[in-house]
Amino acid sequence: MSIGHGAFMSVGAYTAANLANRLGAPWPVTLLAGGLMAALIGAIVGIPSLRIKGLYLAIATLAGQLIIEWTINHVTFISGGVQASIEVARPRLGSYVLSSQRDMYYFLLFFVVVAIVGTLNLMRTRVGRAFIAIRDQDIAAEIIGINIFRYKLLAFAISSFYAGVTGVLYTYFLGIANYEQFQIGVSIDYLAMIIIGGLGSVLGSIFGAIFVTLLPIVIRYAMEAFGGVFFEPQTVLNLIPNLRLMLFGALIIFFLIVEPEGLNRLWRNIRSYFRVWPFAY
Amino acid sequence: MSEFFGFFILLMSNGILIGLMYSLIALGFVLVYKATDAVNFAQGEFVMIAGFMAAGGLMVWGAPLWVAVLVALAAMVAFGFGLERVMLRRLIGRPVIAVVMATIGLASILRGLGPFTIFSGTKPLPLPIPDEPFILGPLFIPPIQLVGGLVSLGFLVAFGWFFLKSRKGIAMRAVADNQQVAMAMGIDVERYFGLAWAMTGIVSALGGILWGNLLGVDVNLALVGFKVFPVVILGGLDSIPGAIVGGLIVGIVENVAAGYIDPYVGGGTKDFAPYVLMIMALMIRPYGIFGKRIIERV
Amino acid sequence: MRRRLAILTALVLVAGSVLAAVSVFAQSKGEIVIGLQCDRTGATQIVGTVLCPGFHDYIALVNSKGGVEGHPIRAIEIDHEYKVPPGVESYERHKKEGAVTIAVYGTPHIYALAAKLTEDRIPGTSPGFGSAAAADGQRYPYIFPIAATYWSQGAAAVDFVKKQMNGSLKGKKIAYLFYDNPAGREPIEVLEDLATIEGFQLKTFAVPPPGVEMGAQVLDIAQRFKADFVIAHLFGGAPSVSIKELKRVGYPLRKVVSFVWGAAEANIDGAGGFAVAEGYYAMQFAGVGKDYPVLNEIREMYKKQGKPAPKEMDSTVFYNRGVLIGALHVEAIRNALKAKPDGKITGEDAKKGFEKINNFTLGGLVPPLKITSTDHEGGGLVQIWQVKGGKFEKVTDWYAAYQNVVAKHIKEAGKK
Repeated sequence: MSIGHGAFMSVGAYTAANLANRLGAPWPVTLLAGGLMAALIGAIVGIPSLRIKGLYLAIATLAGQLIIEWTINHVTFISGGVQASIEVARPRLGSYVLSSQRDMYYFLLFFVVVAIVGTLNLMRTRVGRAFIAIRDQDIAAEIIGINIFRYKLLAFAISSFYAGVTGVLYTYFLGIANYEQFQIGVSIDYLAMIIIGGLGSVLGSIFGAIFVTLLPIVIRYAMEAFGGVFFEPQTVLNLIPNLRLMLFGALIIFFLIVEPEGLNRLWRNIRSYFRVWPFAY
Repeated sequence: MSEFFGFFILLMSNGILIGLMYSLIALGFVLVYKATDAVNFAQGEFVMIAGFMAAGGLMVWGAPLWVAVLVALAAMVAFGFGLERVMLRRLIGRPVIAVVMATIGLASILRGLGPFTIFSGTKPLPLPIPDEPFILGPLFIPPIQLVGGLVSLGFLVAFGWFFLKSRKGIAMRAVADNQQVAMAMGIDVERYFGLAWAMTGIVSALGGILWGNLLGVDVNLALVGFKVFPVVILGGLDSIPGAIVGGLIVGIVENVAAGYIDPYVGGGTKDFAPYVLMIMALMIRPYGIFGKRIIERV
Repeated sequence: MRRRLAILTALVLVAGSVLAAVSVFAQSKGEIVIGLQCDRTGATQIVGTVLCPGFHDYIALVNSKGGVEGHPIRAIEIDHEYKVPPGVESYERHKKEGAVTIAVYGTPHIYALAAKLTEDRIPGTSPGFGSAAAADGQRYPYIFPIAATYWSQGAAAVDFVKKQMNGSLKGKKIAYLFYDNPAGREPIEVLEDLATIEGFQLKTFAVPPPGVEMGAQVLDIAQRFKADFVIAHLFGGAPSVSIKELKRVGYPLRKVVSFVWGAAEANIDGAGGFAVAEGYYAMQFAGVGKDYPVLNEIREMYKKQGKPAPKEMDSTVFYNRGVLIGALHVEAIRNALKAKPDGKITGEDAKKGFEKINNFTLGGLVPPLKITSTDHEGGGLVQIWQVKGGKFEKVTDWYAAYQNVVAKHIKEAGKK
């Protein structure tokens, strides 16, 4: 578990932004470089994982997040000035500039698909199986000859690589890298996505991301439609955001208590329910 | 040179006092971890909601101070018991991350709940404690921080007595040590879990009132919770004296860093320095200065 | 249990999508849409919970008088919790709803949206925050600070201190106490320039987020550096802490001037009330107090509806800023509609509308701005108010200072 993924995104974003602006590197290069740099930093942050785990590790990654934030904020070589933001040009595909919302959407979707397929396959390889063994019982895994330290660092590196690539893509999406995009609150939101979606499942993390993003929108529409019946319009506006916070928290707890395997499990339940619908047993 | 020395003394005294104020918050965290093995990421929000209740009682409903404080204390105790019953009891035996995430969810609820039900915006929490500092030779001692420090030390003594001497405290230690054995010995484990959360409620209520006076009460009061992690990791997650010592270390390091390092790096190292120290501590002594060393078995 | 849960979830999903569809159709014709970003739940909620009602009340007032040139205005508010991803997403929704102007909220948000606003040709405003370089209307055609930027605020603060020091800053010591983020660091370059010009000694004191404690910095200012004046630039709960801590180390508050985000009733309240903060100087980009014609009209509007005036109106600093932002957006739209009477205005028209705002003062609540296609800041005007006898009292009228220095920095930023 890592609370520091926001920071790895920023590492990727700033690496890419600096490469693109100083050396004029095209996006495939910056994307890869951003990911690799994030993987490197991630592996460094992951070193304490040799000695500590669980909660302590979570707090260590939290510290990693704060230290990376601070560094980007203060080292102008990385951040490109007091504003700590670097503008980047839109990505090009051949001679075509991807600028519209739709172009960017497909551009991002492509990488999402690549990432999903990659992760699903990773879990079937030797490395993936080693990860699972370590997660389930690390000491036993060590006894059967898995080099825990190497694989733990590798896991950190791979996961940070994804975060770094995401950071680069987000930078291209916005056209600017700014460290305040990747602060601690954002890291916690990502964690919430995974929990709601279902820990340790790829499909679940996608469900979780969709859910966490859509929830506020649904609450907002619902409140606008019905809130006026009970409250003054001004009050409604004050209620919506607070209510969203409360519902968001309540849902996290609800899923933890009722459906620990998350939306992924729920999805399977719905599927199996409707498969035999309307003649359930 | 004497001016240099005077400033150093000032920084140290400030660090010690603010450190004890951090300890007050960390104590709540440690109590829960010690008794129930649960990690409370909502500690800052506990403090915040207690501050909301006290400030709400005082400023919105116009209750006298002692009523507001009592209400906040009682409500936090009830909240601690209730929370254990409704949420945490169901998470017993789940991995650490489940509890962590549940408390993150709880934090989100509390952050919405305060402004939703009590008041929005910032309210002061005036206490009958003067603002003018005591001046003791070169020292400036703000009374509120002195009170906070004394409350922290008072809790240290009280909990020390509780865990070492009282029947309930010994039972709680037994529960913390091994839940199954404790259960077999006829200890009502769940009751003690509830008790631990209620005690955290009391500590948080006092923390909320004192910090609320210092910062004013609004959602930002919860941010003091971020200070808890370096404090408890340094002191040891399950050690009450550790919370005090950790608080002192963090308070002093912050102040010395701000006084002597900031001018050279042109930025605030105050928040950064304790975390660097924490990482180093994790590498050398992961269980903290006073923490219980856990030997892992397969 | 599992099955019921499954059905429930499916139902919620369906209900949600139906609702979404319904509310899209709820739009009426001829309506002009403004996108409003708010933070009512995040780090700066003390601003959002008061500022946004001010914005809405002004829009309601305009609509109660028949709208702008016959067109009703609809402000769509979205709360982004002061986080960037929800902020970007809220922008996309505003765009989809057809917003012609967007009141962006938050410095990181205006950075994140800068490229998009320009590509989509929708003007976004960043009053009192955001990038000072964005005052350059040629370089950032769709970003409108419409109030004094941090550079102008820094320049105005130094000028104010100079006047307090009887006209000369030679050999004086000024402490700059700032929140350690990009917004907090932005004015330093201007302050350093001014230090050379005016011959004062500048020392910066960083307060790292979350800014709940600044004992060491304040001790340093009062005891080691022994500053003659403090310029403070803090956010969120930090201004309240600074007031308290400065008071505690015995530093006189009449030697402190704060930038615009440490200048509201809420900041004073958080520090323990007006009695504690006696003497504190605060910089404003909108008028303070209840005595403005437009506020009377809003109270009148509530009275007609048989409702008491909202309690947010008591927090005049942020409320009035909300009114100011709302009013400037409405003025831009009014100018755009005048140029295009058919009512089909776009973001581009609204941009030109903003650039026609000249000497629109709303009875003194808004400074006499002059926004042009090159100057999107409108002059960088501020007022200084002082905490005195339980309320804010006006110390200076609208003024701007060292505009040549600020202009030089804007020009340099444009070259990068």
